[in-house]
This record gives sequence, C-alpha cells and structure tokens, in this order.
Amino acid sequence: MALSRRTLLAGAVAAGAGLTSGCAGKPLDTLLTQAAQVPRTPATLTWWVSEIPARNGPVVADLIIRAFERRHPHIHVRKSNALSATDANRAAVTTQLAGASPTPDVYLGDTTWPAQFGTNSLALPLQTLLPKDFWSAYPAALRRVSEYRGAVYALPFYTDSAFLFYRKDLLAKHGRPVPRTWEELLRTARTIQRAGDAAYGFLWQGSVSESLTCNVAEFLADAQAPVLDGAGRVALHGPGAERAFALMREFTETGVTPSTVATYAEADSQDAFTGGRGVFLRNWSYAWGNAADRSASKVAGRVGVAPRPGFEGDGPRGVSCAGGWSNFVNPNSRHLGAAVAFARFCAGEEAQLILLKHAGVIPALEEVLTRPEARAVGDPTLTRVRELHLVARPVQTPYYPQVSKALYTRANAVIGGRATPAQALRAARADIRTALEGRAL
Amino acid sequence: MTSSAPASRRPAAEPAGPPPVRPRRGDGPGRVSRRRRARTGWLFASPALLIISAVTVFPVLFSVLLSFAEVRLEYGGFSIRSLTGDHYAAVLSSPEWRQALLFTFGFTVVTVLLELVLGTAAALVLERLGAARGWVLAVLLLPWALINVVAAQLWGYLFNGTYGGLTWLFEQLLGHQPDILGQPASAMGAMVVVDVWKTTPFVAIVVLAGLMLIPGDVYEAAEIDGAGTWTTFWKVTLPQLRPIMAIAVLFRILQAFGIFDLPFVLTQGGPGTATESLAILGYKTLFQNLAIGRGAAVATTTAVIVISCCLLFLRVFKAQADEGGRA
Amino acid sequence: MSRRAPASGVRRYVNAVNLGGLAIVVLSALPLYWMIASSFKGPGEISAAPPSPVPKAATLGNYAEAFVRNGIGRYLLNSVLVASVSTVAVLGLSFFAGYALGRTPLRGRGGIMTALLMLSVFPPIALVVPLFLLERQVGLLNSYAGLIVPYVALNLPFAIWIMRNYLAGVPRELEEAATVDGAGPLRTVLTVIAPLARPGLFTAGIFTFTATWSEFLLALTFNSEDGHRTVPVGIALFTSQYTVPYGTLFAGAVAATLPIGILVMIFRRSIVSGMTSGAVKG
Repeated sequence: MALSRRTLLAGAVAAGAGLTSGCAGKPLDTLLTQAAQVPRTPATLTWWVSEIPARNGPVVADLIIRAFERRHPHIHVRKSNALSATDANRAAVTTQLAGASPTPDVYLGDTTWPAQFGTNSLALPLQTLLPKDFWSAYPAALRRVSEYRGAVYALPFYTDSAFLFYRKDLLAKHGRPVPRTWEELLRTARTIQRAGDAAYGFLWQGSVSESLTCNVAEFLADAQAPVLDGAGRVALHGPGAERAFALMREFTETGVTPSTVATYAEADSQDAFTGGRGVFLRNWSYAWGNAADRSASKVAGRVGVAPRPGFEGDGPRGVSCAGGWSNFVNPNSRHLGAAVAFARFCAGEEAQLILLKHAGVIPALEEVLTRPEARAVGDPTLTRVRELHLVARPVQTPYYPQVSKALYTRANAVIGGRATPAQALRAARADIRTALEGRAL
Repeated sequence: MTSSAPASRRPAAEPAGPPPVRPRRGDGPGRVSRRRRARTGWLFASPALLIISAVTVFPVLFSVLLSFAEVRLEYGGFSIRSLTGDHYAAVLSSPEWRQALLFTFGFTVVTVLLELVLGTAAALVLERLGAARGWVLAVLLLPWALINVVAAQLWGYLFNGTYGGLTWLFEQLLGHQPDILGQPASAMGAMVVVDVWKTTPFVAIVVLAGLMLIPGDVYEAAEIDGAGTWTTFWKVTLPQLRPIMAIAVLFRILQAFGIFDLPFVLTQGGPGTATESLAILGYKTLFQNLAIGRGAAVATTTAVIVISCCLLFLRVFKAQADEGGRA
Repeated sequence: MSRRAPASGVRRYVNAVNLGGLAIVVLSALPLYWMIASSFKGPGEISAAPPSPVPKAATLGNYAEAFVRNGIGRYLLNSVLVASVSTVAVLGLSFFAGYALGRTPLRGRGGIMTALLMLSVFPPIALVVPLFLLERQVGLLNSYAGLIVPYVALNLPFAIWIMRNYLAGVPRELEEAATVDGAGPLRTVLTVIAPLARPGLFTAGIFTFTATWSEFLLALTFNSEDGHRTVPVGIALFTSQYTVPYGTLFAGAVAATLPIGILVMIFRRSIVSGMTSGAVKG
C-alpha cells in the first residue's frame, strides 16, 4: 500500500478529532438563552415520532402538527417517521444525537430515557424554561421519571398504564368476582381452567425485554419491595422481594400461566387472550381497543377491565408501571426556541385533547381525563386510569438499561424454573450493584 | 474455445489462502514486461481498494481508537478525554462477555459445519439433477433472498408459543405443548435451524460454482481407474473443491460470528442470556448503555478473535493442502 | 450432467439425486409457503390455534395495508435502485481487482488479500457511528449514495476474493494468445477473461444483491427520511410497539421477495448456464 500504516492512523485520529470535537462543549447557558425565545423568523422543525395508535381515521401526529402550525404560522414542523420498536428506534435516534446532528429537533422517546439521555447530553435540560407549577397538572410518577438530579429532560405527552383484563363471561359462569388479590386470581383461574373453559389462566409478559422489567417492577411494588433505596443503592431483598419473585414462579409452576410466557412480549400475550385462550391478561391500556375489535378478537364484548390485583394483606392494589412517551429536545437543534415551544405545545391542553379524541392512548394531562369527552370515547381505561397507583421503574440512574437487564434476565430464569427466587434475587442484586458502579458493559 | 490445451488445462488447484506467494510461473512472453503487468494490476485494483479504504479504514481505526478512549458525550458531539485500557479490562473480566463469546463461538462452529456438509450435498445434487435443476436452484435461492429481519420474524411466527405452526406440530408429536424459544437448549437449537435454513443456499451456490470448475477429464481419469462414487468424491472432487470451500467457510465464519438479526428478533438474547451473541452484546453496550468506548472494545475484541480464527484456519488449511499436494 | 449411463424404469426417477432435489425444494419452500399463506389471513385467523395450513377466508387486506397505508411501493423502488447500483458497481470493481490480484505480478498481493479480510471482519455495529459522522460531514445522509457507497465498500472484499479465486484458474494460454494478437490489457481482460468469469460474477452478484437488499442497520440510521428508506426499514416500520402485525409484515415480505423470485424463475436457465459455462469445464 502506498500509505504507511502510521500515516493512516495519524490521519484517522486527526480526522476523528476534527469530526467530533469541532463544536463540542458548547456552554449550556448559551443554549438555554436561545431556547427561551420563540424565533420570529421562519423555522422548520423535524419531529421524530413513532406511530401514535389511532382510535379512528386521521393520523394523530399530523393533527397535532397542524394545530401547532395554526398557532405559530412561521414555524413549520416536518414529521420524521420513527420505528415503533423501541430498541431499533433508540439506536437510530442515539446515533444521530451522539453524532451531533441538528435534526431531529424534537424527538418522542420512552419514559425510561430521561436520566440516561440527560447525563449523556442527548437531551436539553428544560426546568428553567418551565413555570413553577408546570408539573401539578401531570401524574407525579411521570414527573419522577422525567427528572434527574433536579433537571427536567422530557416533557409529558402520553402515558401507558397497566390493567387487568378479564373475561366477564367466564367469571359470571363460575360465579366469581373480579379478583382483588393474586391469591384470589390464582384460585379463580385454576377453577376455570380445571373446568376446561380456558387453556390459560393468567397471561402476562415474561420475555427478556423491557416488558418483563415492567411486570417485575409491578409485582415488586405490589409487595412493597423497592429495587433501589432512597440513596439510589440496590435494595431488592427481604420477604417482600421474595414474595414477588415467588409469585412469578407460582404462576408457571401451577400452570395458571403457560411456560411460554417466558417468550411473551405484549403482542403475544394479547394474541393469546383475544384468541380466547386465557381468563386474565395483564397489559397496557391500548389492549382494550384490540380486545374490543370484532374483526381481530374472538372475545370482543366479553372483556372487562380492572386495576391489577395486589397481595393479600394491606399492600397497594391497582399498581401500574408509569410507561409512555415524552418529547425530548435535541441540544444541537438549530431552532431551540421553536423546538421547546413545540414540545410544550404537545404537553398542553389543545394537543392533549387531540390525543384524547383521536388516539388510543392515555393523555398525560390529567385534567382532560375528567372532561365529558373522555366518557364519550367509551374506553373504560380512560375513565378508570385515575384509580391506578402509578409506580416508576428504577430509572433514576444513568445506568438504567443495565439495571433493567439485570432484572429481566434474572426474573426470566425464575419463570423458566432455572433459578429459585432467592438465587435470582441474589444474582440480580449483584448485577445491579455492578451496573450502578458503572462497571457493567 | 479453440485452445488445444494439454491434459491439464488448469493449473493445479491453488489454495485459497491469501498469499499465493510462490511466483505463478515464468514472467510470460518477453514482450510484456513484468513491470508493465504489475502496473496494469495496480491500475485495475486501485479503484476497488480506494473505495474500500475511503469508507472502511477510517471507521475501523476510529473504532479502535475509541476502544482505548475515555469518551464523553457533550453538547455538540463527543469528545475524547484520555486514553485508557480500562474498557478492555472491563470487557475481558465480564461474565456476560464470556458467555456471549461462548455462545457465538459454539453457534459459529455448529452452523458452519452443518452448512458446509448440507451445502456441499445440495451442490452435488444440483450438479447431477437433470431438467429440474433450474427450478430447484431457483427455489433454493429464495430463503437466501429473504430479508434477514423478515426471515427471523417468519420463524418467530412459526415458533410462537400459542399459534406457531411448528409449536403445533411438536405438540402433536410430543403430546404436550413445547416451549421452543423459552428454554436455553431448544432456543439455541431453533437458532441453528433458522440459520442453516437461511444460509445453506449460500454455501451450496459457492460450492456448485466450484464444482463447475473441475475439469471433466479428472473424472474421466478416475473412472478409468475404476473408482466408485464415494472414492471419486473423496479423492477427486473434494480436493478440487477445497479452495472454493475455504472461501465459503471463511466468509461464513465471519457472518456467523457477527450474528445479530436472528437473536435480535427471535429471542432478544434470551432465555436469560442464553442466546446473546457478541454482536447483540455490542449493540446493547453501544446503543442502549451509550457506553461508546466499551462498545468499541467489544467490537474490537470480536474482530481480533475472528481474525485470529480466520488466519489459523487459513494456515491449517494451507498446510493440509500442501501436504495433500505432496502426497 | 449425469456421469453414469441412465438407469431404466422406476430407478430413473427414484434415486438419491432426485430425492435430494425434492428435499431441497420441500425444506426451502415450506416455511415460505407458510409465510405466503399467512399473508392472506385476516387478523383473527393469523393468530388462531391450531393454525390453518390454507387460509379459510383469504383476504387481500394485508396487501392493501402494506401498499396503500404503509406505502411499501416507494421502499421497494428505493431498494431496487440501491441494491442494483451497488451490485453493478461491486461486480465491475471486483472483476478488475480480482484480475489484478489473481493474475498480475502485483507486489503485496497476499497482504492486500489479508487486509481485505480483516476489514470485512469488523462488526458493522461499531462502524455505524463513525460512518454516520463521516457521511454527515460529506453531506451524504438521506440520499441513495449514502447507502450505495458503504454497501459497495463493505461487499467488495468478498467479491474480490471470489473473483480472484476464479480468475486465477483461467488458463494463461488464452490470455497470451490474445496478447500475441496485439490486444491491450484492457481489451484482453474484457474480451477474453470477462466471458469466462461468469460463474464467479454470478456468485458475487447474488451475494452482493441479497446482502444489500437485506441490510438494516445502516439503512435505518443513515436515511431517516421516508423518501430514501429501503424495504427492510420500511417493513420494520409496520411493527408497532404494541402489536406484531404478522399479516401486513408477511404481505410486505412477499411483495419484497416476489420480484427476486420472479427474476430467478424467469432466468433460471441463464442462471444455470451462467454458473456452468466456466472457462475450464471440459
């Protein structure tokens, strides 16, 4: 080769330095000053948005964009269709952000991202741009996941909440009430299964993914066992944690839950339920629409919705993970002011009402759920969401993905019977400790 | 072709290994000087080499650099703080990495061996098929042409615990509903099946093209010697196929070691971390954990391991081929 | 091609070769059949247990969804363009490079071949971020060239290896005869060597085309605007966070595989002759 290796290496290092550090280290104050003003000159924003489930015809994102453009005629918003699969979406957006790309200006992201994205300078801290009472209108759990060390990295858009879906006809046939505790659910499910009325008792999500972390976080909250303590160190021990892990095993061991739950994501559990194979289903609110859809669901019209049960005793009921999607602002955006204005618009009343009427999701703004329009939609998850007890996953750490991985891989082993609850908890504690110290890969 | 070639028209099968160091024979007719031919060679090779260097050399070196760097993400891009070997220490001491390496290695060995055997068998069948050859070849090519991500989704559908066609089939055979992707052993088995289904056509085509290079007179000689089908295959066909098989194996090793789409869609690395490949681990480290330096270290160690395997393979292969040549 | 005298009667059809051919067809096609059949099933039937081998109420709804609502047609066009241009470029470049590395007394050939191998070893995942920076700097993001250039570079090493190996086997006498006739190196290569390289070009071509047709990660990150997205990303867009719409997915997959399938079926004779008209076949 004509070029020596050394020349090439030197060239690559120089080029690399030039590419990356050309504009690195912009002071935050400058950015925030820009972000505080909505520009008066025309600007075009790019909004990275995955599909928002639609309740009826129109594309929800387009409706919101049009409403925003009516308010800000000189700002034009372009939609960039993001993948809905969270993992691939994340890879695509982080590559662009880490590459200091000025687009997308605003991106819709998962509620587990703020601490990590904020720490890594992929999201602009917005707290100084918000009114003092901003969060009073939104669920407290949503605030907890959007903030990290006093900084706000995401503005609310919509939430996902977990419910217990059940077969009204089967419960009626066996004269059983909707279970309020897990113990009761186990008994009811077994009775109905034994009678041959359903193949499976209780369907949930046990595959090695964020879906399982949500389920684990909920079972742990049912048993009042925290993952992290107040100081952010790993807790996850004691009888509560064991009770939660033992329950997951009991479901598969007794056959109330099929062992294939270890491979189930949301769609799989939902398909089994709408195919008429299960009595109970833990799923997010959107499953209501699918279960009630006569073209896809065999059980349409026979499904009821209730808050999740709790453990026997004085523990909480109706626990639900605070899931959902929020808007983040790209710190490298060339139109920070416009971007912040748009993200705030999405959290505001007008956009939230559009979500309520046209999208199959739960708007983040709590006040719109009390409107008559909420009742008119006819979706029980919208009206019952305020009965839920929202809990945050342990996202208050920049190492959340590793913490989540520790939870879902170890819990998956318990579900599959490859580890006892005590073993799995010990292993998960060790993994999480490694993760929090920043030593995990 | 009008050339009145002597008995051996083709130079003895040359090993595919990189350096065919020994000079190819004389310098050809005196009129075309060796130097001029070499210049032509550079002229012909440089466009390809230039584009490869332009696109891949920088990213590879940059990645290697990052694997030694303390990388910090900042507003306006990322900056390199200092150089360190910590990432390698973290990677090499990580149980996850060791397990991923073990899985990836085992997966590579098993699938490449299976695909080599099945692909060669398929190529031999194709070579001998009569009129139907075109059709069979066409059908064989279809799995290979299927988009990877889609192929993984298709098999995920077939293995689905509730309504998968294969789950149903096994249920009829076993009497109980199997949990194919939910148990480590069967999940790995399923992964091998899908990879063999998808990639055997590649080996078959490469080997078939190799079969076409074997001069007919070699077979005639064997027939005259009275060799049977098996003897002919082992003593004549296989040695002649070796160079092309080596290429197929080499590139299959590379691909199998980088296996990503399949576990990503089919099992997300589970159950537990049973099917977490090195590529999946690298992906999670880079894109989920945003640990750029460590992700680069995972990638670089993977590359070093694969390169060592490939060089070792070529060396062993070449030594064997030379031995075979002498015998 | 049978080297033995044809057997008579039943043995003529029932033999190891034909059974092997049958096995190849059945094993390759069965999962694909399942995919095609499922692409015609409605939302209830596709997740019905036990599964139905033949759609009971066949519907074109999934295709309508894939083409009309998700606009897979555009993605298909993009993919065809990107994959074809990449393949043609790879074949052209690798043919000359393979010739140079296999047949000319180029110094450091062994080193170059090893270097090619090593460059193609590096996990693409680690290349995404640096390549992204590079493309952003050059302004190639969201363009066809932004995919074609890396695809060509990433697929060249294998193609060069294949071509080199093929061309090394072409008898020297043929080339020398042409040189004696007074042809320059370029003409010799194009008129004498190129026709003999067909099996190699064919193998490398199939490989490159399918690899570029399937590529996901670069396509996902470099072209984030719909206008330049390719089929794998387009199909991934179908999958919502909440459901895996297998029906639409398979309809899209059938649409994406059909063109290749039809091409292969139409040209099956040329494919066979392309692969078998090697230079040295006796």
